[in-house]
Amino acid sequence: MTNYKIIQKGKLWISISLVLFVASLVALGMWGFKYGIDFTGGSLMEVRYAENRPAVETVRENLSQLGLGELIVQPAGETNYILRFQNTEEAKHQEALKALRDLDGSVEEMHFESVGPSIGAELKQKSFYAVFFVLLGILLYISYSFRKVSRPVASWKYGASAIIAMFHDAIITMGIFAVLGRYFNMEINTPFVTAILTVIGYSVHDTIVVFDRTRENLPKSDSDFEGTVNMSVNQTLVRSINTSLTSLLSLTAIIIFGGESIRPFALTLAIGIFFGTYSSIFLASPLLVMWANWKKK
Amino acid sequence: MSKNIIERILKPTARGRVWQFFIGILVLLIIGGLIDAGQYYNKGIDWLSGKTKNTIVLPKTKEVPFRLGLDLQGGTHLVYQTDLSSIDSSERDSAAEGARDVIERRVNLFGVSEPLVQVDKNVSGDYKIIVELAGIKDVNEAIKMIGETPLLEFKEPAGAPRDLTEAEQKDLASFDKKAEAKAQEVLGKAISGGDFSALAKTYSEDETTKGKGGDLGWITENDNPVLVKAVITSAQGQVAKDFVSTNEGYEIVKLTGKRDKQSTFSDAKETEVKAMHLLLCYQGIENCTNNLSKEDALAKIKELKAKATPANFSQLVKENSTEPGASQTGGELGWFTKNKMVQAFSDAVFAQGKGTISEPVETEFGFHLIYKEDERNLQEYQISHILVKTKNKEDIVGPTEEWKNTELTGKYLERATVEFNSSNSSPEVALEFDSEGAKLFEEITERNIGKQVAIFLDNYPISAPTVQNKISGGKAVISGKFTVTEAKLLAQRLNEGALPVPINLISQQTVGASLGSASVANSVKAGLYGFLLVAIFMIIFYRLPGLISVFSLAVYAVLVLAIFKLWPVTLTLSGLAGFILSLGMAVDANVLIFSRIREEIRAGKILSLAIEDGFKRAWPSIRDSNISTLITCLILSQFSSSVVKGFAITLAIGVIVSMFSAIIITKNFLKLIMGKWLEDKIWLIGAKKE
Repeated sequence: MTNYKIIQKGKLWISISLVLFVASLVALGMWGFKYGIDFTGGSLMEVRYAENRPAVETVRENLSQLGLGELIVQPAGETNYILRFQNTEEAKHQEALKALRDLDGSVEEMHFESVGPSIGAELKQKSFYAVFFVLLGILLYISYSFRKVSRPVASWKYGASAIIAMFHDAIITMGIFAVLGRYFNMEINTPFVTAILTVIGYSVHDTIVVFDRTRENLPKSDSDFEGTVNMSVNQTLVRSINTSLTSLLSLTAIIIFGGESIRPFALTLAIGIFFGTYSSIFLASPLLVMWANWKKK
Repeated sequence: MSKNIIERILKPTARGRVWQFFIGILVLLIIGGLIDAGQYYNKGIDWLSGKTKNTIVLPKTKEVPFRLGLDLQGGTHLVYQTDLSSIDSSERDSAAEGARDVIERRVNLFGVSEPLVQVDKNVSGDYKIIVELAGIKDVNEAIKMIGETPLLEFKEPAGAPRDLTEAEQKDLASFDKKAEAKAQEVLGKAISGGDFSALAKTYSEDETTKGKGGDLGWITENDNPVLVKAVITSAQGQVAKDFVSTNEGYEIVKLTGKRDKQSTFSDAKETEVKAMHLLLCYQGIENCTNNLSKEDALAKIKELKAKATPANFSQLVKENSTEPGASQTGGELGWFTKNKMVQAFSDAVFAQGKGTISEPVETEFGFHLIYKEDERNLQEYQISHILVKTKNKEDIVGPTEEWKNTELTGKYLERATVEFNSSNSSPEVALEFDSEGAKLFEEITERNIGKQVAIFLDNYPISAPTVQNKISGGKAVISGKFTVTEAKLLAQRLNEGALPVPINLISQQTVGASLGSASVANSVKAGLYGFLLVAIFMIIFYRLPGLISVFSLAVYAVLVLAIFKLWPVTLTLSGLAGFILSLGMAVDANVLIFSRIREEIRAGKILSLAIEDGFKRAWPSIRDSNISTLITCLILSQFSSSVVKGFAITLAIGVIVSMFSAIIITKNFLKLIMGKWLEDKIWLIGAKKE
């Protein structure tokens, strides 16, 4: 069994986490997310050309007269274009399609989405509520299941530390996507929200295993709180890493082999799970100990 | 001896219990496998029975397909906003439901399998209608059709098409005269050497071919007898001397080419055959009046065959053939192509030599003797034509229809309610019109006493009651053999037509089918590789127990997929991702347990106890951590988007089944292989005694 002095270096880990956390907040503040169509509303069309696809400028010219609003044409792969425009009327969609067909008859519409602006706003609201309720639900559950472990730290503090760790994971993941959005144009849509919520749930999963061990060791341990927690962390270290590793392995398979559309989703999950493991080992427990020590003073 | 076995089954030892459990798991595995891969199993059965010439025919299993979401099947997801502002709140629920019904009926016309149409009411009293059409080809058509507000019309019998008025008759005559003159002019130009192609482009009124210079391509006499007849004696490149008058108008025809028709399937030329036949039907054949049994008919026809020669064939037919009219026609069929007759007949006559009489040929009509008079290559003609249209009565008056519109539409209907007949308590639908509508209704009923008046909703007749007498006061009752449900439905539909609920398309998501099937293929690949990676990892790290957990994982996968099929869960792309993720999480519980067992061994416990305690100690962690994931899934499932819901449900099912598979199945496998022999080989479990 390993015997790393993890908790003892608690201040180091918490500082690292803090730095990452603040950096993510800054990124979010400065750049925000690159909102996808689910949030902004608008239309998104993906078309494929059987042979030579026309130049971007030609396509733009052809569509510029139709009054579609702000129009973006992006090449995708060798044969496809992704077109985005503001207007969401079905009639305009058909006009755009016809214009493209007149330009080159071999064009095939792979995928089309249009989202009215009202739905985007509603989605933001729903997502917000969802995150709130997940946090609440988990806090309640942890407080309940750890109720018998009230010394030396009150049971709700276990829950609180877990929640802080969750928050940390979520914010850092979001921060990373702010960066990805800024430099790689990666967008967030409903799947992203789903992934974040899953990450939150999963992050606790991991943290609980460590706390669980602590709970078990406390009654029969002879070292102080800090020592006990450290021992618990060491005991569960291998297991935590392995668990995340297996989940990450399956996610890697999805990232490599799954299609374009599922990749951002899998990536979000992978990043989130990685940080979830990190926070369970290096954040949640040190935090708990620091809290106990601080209370003592 | 047998008593012993029965005892062992009914009162098993601890070890025996483990075996029984194991067999139970195997049974589950087989059932699950049959559900998952039913079609492969059935194919295997077919192959097997084929190889053994139907001696080994095992029972087949029912094939249950996966239910695929839109992003895997291709299709579209539409969200409509309803405007219920003009309807008071007590009626809003039913108004929304009514609109939903109409939309569903319209959607059903597309023949999409399992369309989904539902009302989504959110907390602020806002009604949306969600439409999901899987596998639909023309989304735009669907949107157009759905978008129309329901249309209610009252129609009366159309009667015979009316006669043309004098003005119309004059109009018709002058139009046709002008057409004739024009045809004459064009014909003149064509004959005097004008460029036919250019003339067609300018003058022809046949839109489909004028662009090609009026070329109709290669046709046989059968395809268009009138046009072919006009040029059958012409030379190649010649224009027929006169124009031909058809139903559509005047045709100027040119023969551009002539050749023998090549068969589409072989190098041979297609031929036509001229033949006479003698038919003997027998008892049991439709419309057969002679009383011969099948054997007698066969005997008779053989007799006739012996007597028949080309010279007397016609006479024999007239005397003996049971084909209606044979006594006059002598069984002459004229020239026909292979596809004109039933297969048995064609095969025989096209194979036999010219001038011969066939052996008896059996078809669904009876027994035939066929005398093949002649055969020739089928001629094809390449024809170009210029059409100058004429008008006829139908063009002016319109096609003959059963119903014609009255002025009365849903606009005038105040309300429709369900009532019960005072005398016999049968359900009826009572209609109430506004004052204008009442007047119109009075006129309509007066005109059509004793006849039917039809009620059309969205151009589909929903009821056609017979008018008993003139109805004034704008109140009417539709009685018929309604059940209460039918009456309610009709009233609801009529009210829909009366209260149009405007709907507005606010969101659309379409996925092309090719993208859908590509996504499926990718997901399957990802799933297999994911499983493989996890399996390899587990075996390397946990060795023997790792191997066991891989088996356990396989059972898990089979069970989960079977549940997906049976529930049924609609699989979306994110749902499949959830499933693949759960593969990784499923082993998590196993990992927990093995870590524990290793610890227990290190602490000095003997193997069997270590296993037992390992499971017991690991359970609380497993339970707590999975519950938090389940809480997340619960909240995610409240989203109305099928994408999110799909993910939540598959993940939840995955988590629950994984708990089961880890605790029960893995434990069972471990216990099974446990024994003294393992005690010494602790390295197999990867634990070292410290």
